[in-house]
Amino acid sequence: MKRWSLVGAWKLLLKTLAFAMTVAVVIVMLPSKARSQLGLDPCCAIISAGLSTISNLLSSVVAKPLGQIQQIEQQSANYEQQVVFPVSAINQARAMAMQSQGQFVQMRQIFHLPVASATLPTPQRLEQVLLSRNPGAVPQVTTNYGSLYGTVMPQTDAPQAVRDLVDMTDAEAQAAMKKAVEIDALADLELQAAEQINQQLQTSAPGNAAILEAQTSAWLVRAHAYTQAAMAELVRVRSIELANQGAQMKFSSAHTTTLHSTGSQMLQQGAH
Amino acid sequence: MKQRIKRTLGMFRLVSFRNPARLLAMALVVFFLVPSQARAAGIGDIVSLLKSITSTIQGAIGGALSGIQMLNSNMNNFRQQTIWPLAAINQAKGFVNSTRAQYGNLMSQVQGIKNNSATLASPTQLESVFRNGQSGSIGQLPQVYTKVYAAVPPPTGARPVQRDMMDMDDALAMGSLKTTVLSDQTTQGMLALADQLEQQSAAAAPGSGPMLSAQAQVADLETQAYMAKMLAAELRQDAAKLAHQNTLLKQSAAATRNLQNRMQQVLSHQ
Repeated sequence: MKRWSLVGAWKLLLKTLAFAMTVAVVIVMLPSKARSQLGLDPCCAIISAGLSTISNLLSSVVAKPLGQIQQIEQQSANYEQQVVFPVSAINQARAMAMQSQGQFVQMRQIFHLPVASATLPTPQRLEQVLLSRNPGAVPQVTTNYGSLYGTVMPQTDAPQAVRDLVDMTDAEAQAAMKKAVEIDALADLELQAAEQINQQLQTSAPGNAAILEAQTSAWLVRAHAYTQAAMAELVRVRSIELANQGAQMKFSSAHTTTLHSTGSQMLQQGAH
Repeated sequence: MKQRIKRTLGMFRLVSFRNPARLLAMALVVFFLVPSQARAAGIGDIVSLLKSITSTIQGAIGGALSGIQMLNSNMNNFRQQTIWPLAAINQAKGFVNSTRAQYGNLMSQVQGIKNNSATLASPTQLESVFRNGQSGSIGQLPQVYTKVYAAVPPPTGARPVQRDMMDMDDALAMGSLKTTVLSDQTTQGMLALADQLEQQSAAAAPGSGPMLSAQAQVADLETQAYMAKMLAAELRQDAAKLAHQNTLLKQSAAATRNLQNRMQQVLSHQ
């Protein structure tokens, strides 16, 4: 009976051992999660050490630089927002543009006040055209000019040289008057453009202000070119004036020579 | 001992071979429980994978992050120390303020000097009207101008051509004088605007500087336009002066012709 119980116990032990070995094999062959659920994974230590290393690396190699980058970015953003592009300064600049707009309008209105002063009909007609700021009225300059200052004298009234001089002078005087009307009209357009650009500036940002600045610079170049053209016309007027003085001296000299030779002839005839 | 070993082996045989169904079931359970990848992967593979992840974190990710961090730091330093250094910004603002203090009053004083030089009553009155820079006073100009330069003579006092020319000369002279009054007032406005812009630039930031600069350019364009208007007035004036001289020449020719005709008439009568 005792022997039987020992044999039975031995068999039971062997069976238990075989079962445990089978379970162990199964556990070893199970995927990691299944094993860890059971808490019997022999690789746990290795995996744990590996994960611990990864975690440490993520903290030191990834998280730390990322934190520093964030800090630098934040500092940079703060610097740009508070020092380089502060909203208050941008708004102040916009407010300044609004204020300027009012001043520009006021100045334009001042320059549109009437300055016409002629009292007689013929001068009034010419003056009206000259102050019209309307390039469409330029052709009327010739007619009104002729009515006031007269036309070139007929051939019977003066030598051809004098008629040429008079015609040239009239031409330059009329051209200068026409140019004055054109320059006035161009100046009005420049003022309109300036006000439009200034309106744009009221809603601009630091990023696009440079574009508007470039556009204004281009307009300035244009304005300087028109001023230069007007200066050239002014120089022509003064050149013709100077040429007239020279021509009058030449005519006077020629008349003196003629008078001298005629007088000599008369004296010679008288002596004979 | 040998017997015990034999018995154990016997037990295995009993489990393995005497109950094939049980063995098969167990094998199937093991087979289905183990996923295919896990079946292939061993501890060596896991270690290798961990090493790979570690080296990726240390090399590729860590290196790139260090590079980005260095680049960011350099860019930040470049912006704050080279492009927009706070000290230089404050220095520029201080420079604007000191320049304003240095030149502002001086220039205002020079600009404010009165150049009126007339001594007699009528010229003094005329001068004060066209030098006051007040557009509201240009209505008084014809009256005070006439006091100094006289009015156009009545039709009985001069020929129509001469009266027209006198009136035109007066008109352009007065028109130009009025234009100078308007120009002076506009100049005051422009100077005030320039002062405001300079004041604003002292409180500006590098970001708002281009906006103020653009406004100054717009004001410059306006000034250029008014300059053109003044030039147009000068052109009108010079053209009228030239036309006047030319008309005198025409009248001289006509007068010569008349004299010649009369002399011929006198000679023919004799």
